[in-house]
Amino acid sequence: MASEAVGARPRDPGILGRLGGGILDTLQILGEVATLLVAAVRAVPRSRPDRQRLVAQLVRIGTDTLPIGALLSLFVGMVLVVQSADQLREVSQEVLGPIVGLAMTKELGPVMMAFLLAGRAGSAMAAELGSMTIYDEVNALRTLDVDPVRFLVTPRLIASALALPMLVLYSDFIGVVGGAAIVGIDPGITLSVRGYFERMLEWVDFSDIVVGLVKGFVFGVIASIVPCAFGLRTRGGAEGVASSTTSAVVWSFILILVFDFLIVRLSFTLT
Amino acid sequence: MTATRHVERGVRVELSGVRKRYDGHEVLRGVDLVVEPGSLVAILGQSGTGKSVALRQIVGLERPDAGRIVVGGVPIERYVAMPPGEKPFRIAMVFQNAALLASLTVAENVGLRLREHGTLPPREIREATRRVLEQVELAGTEDKYPTELSGGMRKRVAIARALAVDPELILYDEPTADLDPILTEQIGSLIARIRDTRGATQMFVTHNVPLARAVADRIAVLDQGRIAEYLTPEELPASRYPLTQEFLRAAGLEHGSGGV
Repeated sequence: MASEAVGARPRDPGILGRLGGGILDTLQILGEVATLLVAAVRAVPRSRPDRQRLVAQLVRIGTDTLPIGALLSLFVGMVLVVQSADQLREVSQEVLGPIVGLAMTKELGPVMMAFLLAGRAGSAMAAELGSMTIYDEVNALRTLDVDPVRFLVTPRLIASALALPMLVLYSDFIGVVGGAAIVGIDPGITLSVRGYFERMLEWVDFSDIVVGLVKGFVFGVIASIVPCAFGLRTRGGAEGVASSTTSAVVWSFILILVFDFLIVRLSFTLT
Repeated sequence: MTATRHVERGVRVELSGVRKRYDGHEVLRGVDLVVEPGSLVAILGQSGTGKSVALRQIVGLERPDAGRIVVGGVPIERYVAMPPGEKPFRIAMVFQNAALLASLTVAENVGLRLREHGTLPPREIREATRRVLEQVELAGTEDKYPTELSGGMRKRVAIARALAVDPELILYDEPTADLDPILTEQIGSLIARIRDTRGATQMFVTHNVPLARAVADRIAVLDQGRIAEYLTPEELPASRYPLTQEFLRAAGLEHGSGGV
């Protein structure tokens, strides 16, 4: 009896085995995401009749994110000014405008909005597609000769890639205004609001805004394709949907940061 | 059930030596079955014996590990790879939980394939949708969402969605699961009516013996991953196969009586 129990126990793969398994899983996920991205992009020309679904996704991804996006950007802009002003008191507060302007346009605006999109709309995409997968709705599409990628993924991809750059501009503006508000009301800051904007315009180039928009586009692709890939690979019941949703958000965050680094490196190489 | 057949446009379905394994467990162990064009076949078996798995192989959602499936003279893997417009016939499937898209209305669900392939103007799609909804006695529900419908209504919408494709083969996965006896009878009658009026080949999996006896032309008993018996409803009560006898006993039909 005892020997049977020992025989039935699965063999421990060991540290190397687990590491190897983890690497293979990672490669498989990245492969699935890349394959889905190619399929979704190839379906773009055939997605013209899906304007209604595209608009619905734009509303869900873009418009519904505006209030929370504004709140987040406003406070980040204000905190940036408060923190920096304190550090710069002994030197010069003249650079407050450039600090907020460059930080918002090149880094904080794109990354914050991407995280917000991945956490909010991305998790909803993974959960929705995951439920559709386990309840055979995706299979029903296949039996009707309707391509699930074109029907479900492409509208989300286009909406996300279009909405995120717009959300980045919106976040940049609100963050900068939030910083200006603190400059205007904080008695500890000697810089005028006019000076804040003048210095900012001297330092922030159009190319900085473009870098932010490029990031917004790339992050928008990531924040939609990764959740869609996890949604479509969902197995099991409600537990499977929960697991896919969590993994989709975590993987989106990781890939957003990796591509953030790559874009920054590339932008410095090119300029 | 006596039937007056008006049309005969179904396709022949042939399964030979079909095997399917999941996680080391062999669910289908060499399924051999021939379904003649226009016939209505019930696949009877216990829960978890691979009835639904067999349907998924036939419709091409999954590939068998071994064996061959030919529908209308075309190997199923070739059929699945064909562009929608070039397919010589259409296969529709009604899923166990109806699998209606929750974000679409009844009319949008039913007309989905017609709309997505853009072959008909919107007015004709609306008309086609209305016609099939009338056939399943759900006229007037066009603007409702699936969540606003009962389980039986959702099943009928799923059947309407299948009919809208005008298929030569319709597969039903447990079409009466979770339905009360009255709704079961309604769905059974609907399936029989589709056979009589459209002539499509139809296959449904079930463990409801009275339903299978009442509507099917042939009954295939699936046991331990193989077709153990392939009988007419009249031959069923005389079966000596243990599982069939058990089914008949459980349904109170050991003396050969009963309806849906």
